[in-house]
Amino acid sequence: MLDRLRALKREHGRIEAADIDRLAAELGLPRAHVNAAASFYADLGFQPRGSRHVQVCAGTACFAASAGSHINDLSRRIGVEAGGISEDGRTSLQPVYCLGYCYGGPAALDGEQPRAGHDLVEQLCEGAAPGDPEIPVHTTLEDPVVLAGVLDPDADPWEPVRDVLAARDLARVQREVVASGLRGRGGAGFPAAVKWKAASEAPSRGPRYLICNGDEGDPGSFVDRLLMERDPQRLLAGMTLAAYASGATRGFVYVRSEYPRARDAVRAAIVAARADGHLGSRPDDSGFDFDVDVFEGAGSYVAGEETSLMHSMEGLRGEVAARPPYPTERGFLHAPTVVNNVETLCAVPWIVDRGGEAYAARGADGSRGTKVVCLNERFRNPGAYEVELGTSVRWIVDELGGGIEDGRDLRVLQVGGPLGGFLGSDQLDVPLTFEALRDAGADLGHGSLIALDDRIDREALERHFWRFAASESCGTCGPCRLGTRQGLELAEGRGGPDSEEARSEMYSAMERGSLCAFGRSIPNVARSLDRAWSGGAPAPRRGASTPHAEHA
Amino acid sequence: MRVSVDGTGVEVAPGSRLLDAARAAGVEVPSLCADPRLAPYGSCRTCMVGLEGADDPVPACTSPAADGAVVRTDDPTAQATARVALELIVGSLPASALELPEERSEFVRACRKLGVSSSRFGGPLRDEGRDDSHPYVKYDPSLCIACARCVRMCDEVQGTFALAMVGRGVETVMAPGSGGSWDESDCVACGACVDSCPTGSLSEPGLLDLRPVERTTTTTCGYCGVGCSLDVHTRDGEVAAITPTREGAVNRGHACVKGRFAHGFIRSPDRLTRPLIRRDGELVESTWEEAIALAGSELERIRSEHGPDAIAAISSARATNEENYLMQKLMRVAIGTNNVDNCARICHAPSAAGLSLAFGLAGGTNPFEDFDRADVFLLCGANPTEAHPVVGARIKQRVIRGAGLVVVDPRRTELAAYADIHLRPRPGTNVAVFNGLAGVLMTEGLVDGEFLGERAEGLEALRELLDDYAPERVEEISDVPADDLRRAATLYGQGPARALIWGLGVTEHAHGTDGVRTLCNLAILTGSVGSPDGCGANPLRGQNNVQGAADMGALPDMLPGYQRVADEAVAERFETAWGVPIGRERGLRIPEMFDAAVGGRLKGLIVFGEDIAQTDPDSGHVRAALDACELVISQEIFLSETAALADVVLPAAAFLEKEGTFTNFDRRVQRVRPALDPPGEARPDFEIIGALATALGADLGCRTPADAYGEMASVTPTFAGISHKRLDRDGPIAWPCRSADDPGERRLYRERFETPSGKAQLAAIPYASPGEEPDSEFPLLLVTGRRLEHYNAGTMTRRTGNLELVAEELLELNPDDAANIGVADRERVIVASRRGEVELTAEVTDRVSPGQAFMGFHFPEALANRLTSQHGDEATSCPEYKVTAVRVGKAAA
Repeated sequence: MLDRLRALKREHGRIEAADIDRLAAELGLPRAHVNAAASFYADLGFQPRGSRHVQVCAGTACFAASAGSHINDLSRRIGVEAGGISEDGRTSLQPVYCLGYCYGGPAALDGEQPRAGHDLVEQLCEGAAPGDPEIPVHTTLEDPVVLAGVLDPDADPWEPVRDVLAARDLARVQREVVASGLRGRGGAGFPAAVKWKAASEAPSRGPRYLICNGDEGDPGSFVDRLLMERDPQRLLAGMTLAAYASGATRGFVYVRSEYPRARDAVRAAIVAARADGHLGSRPDDSGFDFDVDVFEGAGSYVAGEETSLMHSMEGLRGEVAARPPYPTERGFLHAPTVVNNVETLCAVPWIVDRGGEAYAARGADGSRGTKVVCLNERFRNPGAYEVELGTSVRWIVDELGGGIEDGRDLRVLQVGGPLGGFLGSDQLDVPLTFEALRDAGADLGHGSLIALDDRIDREALERHFWRFAASESCGTCGPCRLGTRQGLELAEGRGGPDSEEARSEMYSAMERGSLCAFGRSIPNVARSLDRAWSGGAPAPRRGASTPHAEHA
Repeated sequence: MRVSVDGTGVEVAPGSRLLDAARAAGVEVPSLCADPRLAPYGSCRTCMVGLEGADDPVPACTSPAADGAVVRTDDPTAQATARVALELIVGSLPASALELPEERSEFVRACRKLGVSSSRFGGPLRDEGRDDSHPYVKYDPSLCIACARCVRMCDEVQGTFALAMVGRGVETVMAPGSGGSWDESDCVACGACVDSCPTGSLSEPGLLDLRPVERTTTTTCGYCGVGCSLDVHTRDGEVAAITPTREGAVNRGHACVKGRFAHGFIRSPDRLTRPLIRRDGELVESTWEEAIALAGSELERIRSEHGPDAIAAISSARATNEENYLMQKLMRVAIGTNNVDNCARICHAPSAAGLSLAFGLAGGTNPFEDFDRADVFLLCGANPTEAHPVVGARIKQRVIRGAGLVVVDPRRTELAAYADIHLRPRPGTNVAVFNGLAGVLMTEGLVDGEFLGERAEGLEALRELLDDYAPERVEEISDVPADDLRRAATLYGQGPARALIWGLGVTEHAHGTDGVRTLCNLAILTGSVGSPDGCGANPLRGQNNVQGAADMGALPDMLPGYQRVADEAVAERFETAWGVPIGRERGLRIPEMFDAAVGGRLKGLIVFGEDIAQTDPDSGHVRAALDACELVISQEIFLSETAALADVVLPAAAFLEKEGTFTNFDRRVQRVRPALDPPGEARPDFEIIGALATALGADLGCRTPADAYGEMASVTPTFAGISHKRLDRDGPIAWPCRSADDPGERRLYRERFETPSGKAQLAAIPYASPGEEPDSEFPLLLVTGRRLEHYNAGTMTRRTGNLELVAEELLELNPDDAANIGVADRERVIVASRRGEVELTAEVTDRVSPGQAFMGFHFPEALANRLTSQHGDEATSCPEYKVTAVRVGKAAA
């Protein structure tokens, strides 16, 4: 249904009540539910769209790149208000949260054509050549895990799949992944093997599902885009192994709509993998039958939360649902479902191939293996780096990143995306692990490191942050829906809590009372910014650490 | 599982949440997004509680209760979290939200409980205006707190999916339909959303009026045979609102547009408030003394001139059991005739007859709650989402959750759209289809051999007959594709928990009783009646007390409890009790009464709470019969089509003004209690019947309805254990209930069937063609039936806001036929049958098959029964309402 709505929006530029009625009748769905879905997603909605539709990145890295000026500049030059349409109805401008060009922003999508660079406004308004920089990729490891195929085009991720299925060695997959200690890379760090086991043992009358969460909504992170665009076969191989271990027979890759190239690359990879006999009916006699399709998102950060993501796939609003029941018991279409992040799944072929011990030998206690960290454009050497967990953040910033560009000073570092936290330049001596980062008041999150330099105005950063929080709150639970709005009111100087005490109590209620990690994390981010800016002592964060609160 | 809440230990069922435990412990926990009728949701976060062993407070509504859990609702952190969550909500609402009376706003009660009277959080408020487009459901979006209770009630309880949350973040708000006004949405006005809304964002006219309610009376709904419990809230002698009783045994806190909202008729200015008598051809106002004396003396005269059998009564399926008991007693004791019948004759007499023959008793076999565990439904000739909405909603919910559904109906009803298989037989060919289904069950080995061997008879004869009903042969007769028939039988046969449900589409045929018998065959073949798994065979009774009217002996051949007048022992027992002789010959059935009147043999007719001039078939003939009578007495609440033709009109009380009991479709006897006094001089029918008896010089005893029930129970073994006292104490009781300590048999026949042999009776009945067939002059087949918004003759619903919802009758015509006739949607047409014609508006829709048409019978302006015929069921005289040959033409401009 979201595809149909998207097509309507593309073709006609707008969705009207009559479209809702017609589509509902055609699909046999309630009108109210079609209307509800259309109203939820940023890509759909009822705002008209021009024949030229520009999605400009409002993510934190692009904010850092232009010191918060590029959207206003573009809006002025293109003559369209952000979120609006030109008077002649030809051009519309939509701010979106992150296009994955954090290493070379600010960025925009002009239709589906990416444009990025400091001359973004010129590119869009004066015909300057489109900037479309490739993601710089590096590793400190001799033998990278998830970037194995990106760095070595000859690597064959399907080899362990063939071995396992030829021997029908289900136990091997389970054994090696347990031994590896692999934890979800989407943010919550839940052990992958435990999730698979739960799904495989949950009673089901129909199929089980495996969903790859490619809704990399964290502004600042582009590892999933990198993996989906440059090594999708590894992802599909990882999915096949995960499906085998969890008893799933149908798979989906949920790709966010802000990543049109990743969507196309995964689609092409699926076609190729089917042709090679890796997906669909297999030529071997393993009896294992697994196929994958792509599902394209429609513009919602919270859709990266797993219950929201499945609602979105079912054509519903991307609302978060209370758990239990967990997806492994009752997920997509009410069937047992495993939701794993792209990077998690991309580690699986290597783990099965080399053994869980080899993987676990890397990293630190409790945080085993490697992580791809993403450094933004403010660094002298931006890009994606695969490092061992446990690596010092300061070392990553100074040695890998080479410090800050232009001779500017680092003001604050945002670690782990919008739900992670801010560290001051005096707080960087912390190892890159789930626990240590939480203790420092940040989070590993999706592994993004966004440097904000000394050009940044604190109040602008606060407004930027709260605008994101308020516009991406799904609205299901009260503390998040209303608390993020209060935060924005305060940041914009219009109202909000009437005292420091009220603000503090509101933060506590959001942390303790919100339905998912989104609302529970927001107060910590706000507090960490206070602290990082003023150089106060870190306080360990609370909330957001329930094991299943996975977030892309 | 044992859970401690604030130090109080409570036992809760597995699967319970902490909120259930708190409720069980009697501890009030504000929970603005929770409703016991709904699955846990967890959005408002005002139910935070402390849980021992958990670092942080948890929401009570979604957190599972574990054995040994220790909950503190007064945990300071939990309280602080909940209070701020609530304060944030308060800050998002206009001040008026807190100004509602506490008893009308769960939100205000939550604020009181958590001590929130203002908010430290401010910001812009929602500024959409009110939506008052719907007559009943009033929506103020500015009070919406996005708890989605309304949406979930619509989805999870009603199943209409008319509402949804739209927007996101702080813009999240409920919107009906595609976002337009309420009256343009798919809302069916069941009222569930209004009932659940915690803030008054959704309300109804009577509750927007802030005057306090004076009294709340729990009674049983007077619309349809489902038997919903309703709480009637009154003030100043009027109904303020009616809400479904949360603990209602049948409806469990749900209702429909009729029971919940269509109460405006009760204070309609045209209620009859004084007796009327015909003087010089005109009905004029009179007094009770004069009217009763006139009725009494005329009845006396007719009896002395023509004998007691020249008088008959049509008793009321809308009136109470006690009134029906009294009416048949009036006829048998004060007049001395068995000429008493009720409108079950024209709806479910074939069900009563068929069920009695197949299983022994004249009622549905299983309780409604068995529908909730059915794996497959076979629904025949019934449209419950319109005619029995609460049953329809429950079937739909079960189907949405995975139960199989076979619908047999020529028309594509709402549930047909949810069916796995929809069989659309040509009207009048049910018996062939049911035999065909039975044949497939046999050939596919889907029968329960053990059950058939031990508990049923007639298998061999049936097997022989079914050789003639191979699916391909059935397809020739009925137009039902042979493969669909096979699939339908297979789905039903696989069960394992099968529910067989039917309505008037099975009974109102020339072979209606045969239809019921051949349908019951399917339940017997699969062992679905009287077995632990089976969900039985249940007719959906039409009017609120049509089961009860027949139970009470308002039948020409039966005394209360289906005891035959022809049975010497029975008759003697009643003669002893009543002190008068009783005739052993059966009296006249309703259609026979009309024939006898036209033929001059019947001179006096009492019509009690029925509008026969509108609802009975071939109304020209009915009017002729009324004209021919020397005396017609009508007990009515309005001057109906029938009352207008009467000689004496006695103003009666409506169901909200009465004391007694109704018996619903699954044989539950339920209390009816007066919420209001009757208007003017109107009186309960119970008193009117007593007064008529007195005028005839007879004393029927039974000073109160409770006395009448007691007397009836004393001579009727199947009701012996039921009394008003017990119903008031224990709640509804299903009959049979043979003694004061018998809990009542909700599931029949667990040990033996009530047939003479104790076994279920299979019936080998061949298909026979319907009474009425189309020809070149009358080429279309008209089916009549009900609409959701109106009830029966419409005397009540047309005097309520329901008329705004559906203002006129429509003739549903298939697009092919419409094109042939040259009629477009919403054009006026004339429908003519061999008996008469009516003019109305056409609705061109593929809900009906080519060659067929459909209309309701709720509007006197478009009187469907001017068209219908006197063909009737051979066994019971039930009219063939479902098959009328008609011609449709464009009306003159």
